[in-house]
Amino acid sequence: MKKLIEITLGILTAIGGFVDIGDLVANAESGARFKMALAWVVVVGVIGICLFAEMAGRVAAVSQRPVFSLVRERLGAKVALANLGASFFINFLTLAAEIAGVALALELASSVNYLLWIPLVAFAVWLVIWRVRFSTMEKVFGLLGLCLLVFAVALWRFGPDWGALLSNAAHPTVPSGEGHPTYFYFAIALFGAAMTPYEVFFFSSGAIEEKWTKKDLVVERMNVYIGFPLGGLLSLALMALCSVILAPRGITVSTLSQATLPTVVVMGKLGLAVLLVGIFAATFGAALETGFSAGYTVAQYLGWQWGKFVRPKEAPRFHLVVLVSIIMGAFLVLTTIDPIKVTEYSIVLAAAALPLTYFPILVVANDPSYMGEHVNGRVTNALASIYLGILLIVSVATIPLMILTKAGS
Amino acid sequence: MIAPLLLLASCVAPDRTYEPYEADAVATAEDAASAAQTALLAVDASTRSNVTQNYLSIVLEEAEADASGVQGTFDSIQPPNSEADRLKNELDKLLDDAASVLEDLRIAIRRGELEKLPDIAHPLDDTAKKLDDFATAHER
Repeated sequence: MKKLIEITLGILTAIGGFVDIGDLVANAESGARFKMALAWVVVVGVIGICLFAEMAGRVAAVSQRPVFSLVRERLGAKVALANLGASFFINFLTLAAEIAGVALALELASSVNYLLWIPLVAFAVWLVIWRVRFSTMEKVFGLLGLCLLVFAVALWRFGPDWGALLSNAAHPTVPSGEGHPTYFYFAIALFGAAMTPYEVFFFSSGAIEEKWTKKDLVVERMNVYIGFPLGGLLSLALMALCSVILAPRGITVSTLSQATLPTVVVMGKLGLAVLLVGIFAATFGAALETGFSAGYTVAQYLGWQWGKFVRPKEAPRFHLVVLVSIIMGAFLVLTTIDPIKVTEYSIVLAAAALPLTYFPILVVANDPSYMGEHVNGRVTNALASIYLGILLIVSVATIPLMILTKAGS
Repeated sequence: MIAPLLLLASCVAPDRTYEPYEADAVATAEDAASAAQTALLAVDASTRSNVTQNYLSIVLEEAEADASGVQGTFDSIQPPNSEADRLKNELDKLLDDAASVLEDLRIAIRRGELEKLPDIAHPLDDTAKKLDDFATAHER
């Protein structure tokens, strides 16, 4: 019974924790501009993140060592440094975007400018990382993130033409007025949002924080194979809502308030309240995860003591990296740079850097000296090889498409 | 390396001929129409489902900022010839109309005059349609 509760809780946490500011922005923008014509990208992205998150979690649970440490040992310092550089930079941008996302949610609730919330949010993120138990923070924010189910409820209450939505998703066409380069630029943004690298760092390091062993592989797989896809459904619900309410009016999404408007139109004040709790929890949870990931990547590469499973005074350099990253992330958004643009760039650049993150994980997951009998199977390797091909194509195409489409504008 | 790429992706290049200027005008009209429709949808939601004043205030404020932002960007582009001058004048009139209503909406919501919003927003419907028509007429 205890195991069942643990699995259920893990799945619910994974659902609530799947969506972050990148998913909110990318899915709302895509739905408003392309209706459901990019839904297939969410499916491809969710399969990809399931594949590599499971691999990273399995590596951590079996070897009892975090992915970054193994990558450095297995592939050498230079390759691992390239991995670290790209991952840390993308993670930093994502952290800044998540802090801004929390502040924007608070702005919508209070009408106090989001810039005034940034220092408070940054302090709160650091305080929670410093003081709150790992499993507690993970469950609280993951479960509160389930409030985003309001997207699905709003869609159901709106009563769209389900057949038309499915048909649009199954037979994707580029709407008139939009070019193919812009379509593929948004496809990359959605893909980057679904496969954000920090999710993998956090998942694998979290496995060690929670002292997972080979016995916990069932829980790990349930979290990934059930929780993540159900989280992906929330993304699709938001995309569908924007496609049926914003797209017909020609509204393109450039602010978080526009992304929330369809839910508010359908669900009113109560829906708004639930939605804002959900966005707050999802972005705050993701800010914690990216804050942790900043510390994890650097500390694991350099071989420092890391994590919440030891007292802060035993891992001072890990906590220093976390603190400095949060402060710098807050400063970045305090420059008044458009937080939605930061989010867009973080997910698109994440897409460009994905091979650097996922290729080393695939190598380590196939090394029997670390994994023993738990190395990747044939099906996993075949799928992972296909995905590496996709990741390479995405990586090469991202920057030219960004310039060609003026970042999708 | 990343910063110059981002700058390159987001910079506004000068238009040397009419066609790219017209394309910029179409994009501006579409963005302004989007801001206007956002405000209309928010006002409609407020009349039907009692949306909080704080939320409505931010939505309308951002719609106004979006509309004035795209107008500012468009006005910073040098019209290449007299044909472009005429196009600019035509679009500027519509953008001014939209900005004026959005400003009035923002003032009303800040004063807590929610009941006045539908009346104030009424002309925005017509302006949004004209912006759409403008974009359609000049789209290539």
